[in-house]
Amino acid sequence: MKKTMTDNKNAEQNLKAAIAKLPREMTPERDLWSGIEKAISQNSQTASPSQHSKAKVFMPTAWAASVVAAVLLTWVTLGPTPDNSEQQVNLVVEMQQDFEQQKKTMLVSFGAPDVKKLPTAMQAELTKLSSAQQTISKALADDPNNSDLLNLLRWTQKQELDLLKQLYSPQWQTI
Amino acid sequence: MDKLKIIDAHERFSPDVESQWIAQAQQGNQQAFHHLYENYHRRIYALCWRMMADKDSAEDVCQEVFVQLWQKINNFRGESKFSTWLHSVATNIVLGHIRKNKTWIQRIFSIEEQVVEDIAVEMPELSNLDKNIQSLPERARLVFILFAIEGYRHEEISKMLGMAVGSSKSQYHRAKGLLRESLGE
Repeated sequence: MKKTMTDNKNAEQNLKAAIAKLPREMTPERDLWSGIEKAISQNSQTASPSQHSKAKVFMPTAWAASVVAAVLLTWVTLGPTPDNSEQQVNLVVEMQQDFEQQKKTMLVSFGAPDVKKLPTAMQAELTKLSSAQQTISKALADDPNNSDLLNLLRWTQKQELDLLKQLYSPQWQTI
Repeated sequence: MDKLKIIDAHERFSPDVESQWIAQAQQGNQQAFHHLYENYHRRIYALCWRMMADKDSAEDVCQEVFVQLWQKINNFRGESKFSTWLHSVATNIVLGHIRKNKTWIQRIFSIEEQVVEDIAVEMPELSNLDKNIQSLPERARLVFILFAIEGYRHEEISKMLGMAVGSSKSQYHRAKGLLRESLGE
């Protein structure tokens, strides 16, 4: 038993030593620069890195604008109304509009990718969430005071936004 | 001439010079960008080669890393070391390629493809450990490289590979066990 533990410790140390000796650098067999140079020269004709930075500056502005738009929309939509059920219907409409706005802004921030180019399985997930939202919205039109349905609608919208974020958000951009 | 030349890692530029190259590259200076390429491409290629387990794919992906780096270099704001940031960029691009090249059935059922390339014949100068790493099942190999060689934490690896932290740890232990076995320890 003691011997086995010592063996394991030795094996662990040997492995660590072998890892430490691994080369951190390797030289590719072919020249990679010529291909890179060609690609970046073509890119430079369309957009230079400094132009990318302009687009980057635009992003916070777009987010801020969307927040302002959402606040204004909420203020206008949730103005005092005499009928409570009408107010609830408006709340559903406002939720949907707010969600669509958030989704649009998020997609713009990811470079407006074409959702149709996603793998079929992912597209199917998005379709499922979208049809669930439509079904819940219809149910809310008949029963506007149902808080469970409202929560369910909010949940499906969040799921869709999370999924889009997961699909398109490159982790390295956040570094 | 050896097919794969392995050289010692060393910094070729001082941090100040490197900062200048980065700033100039961010302004669209291709020559400055070439200096950055010269300094880092061997490290990035080593990462690509180990993770892709295929020389040709590694070269292609290494090229893509630098093309994307050119497009995204303005995202580097100096909050971390450039080499650390570049490694993250490269790791994500490599993982993206590995995912993209999987068939839908491999993706759904997490079927692991065994490396078929005869690395020992193709690259005789490689260390035994590198050869054996290439023979590991894909998930175990990726976790092992990211954790033991690249120095990522299991929490980070779990996010990168879309697996639970516990799975990352168990894949690492699996990799270690297989490596010890194949190294004859």
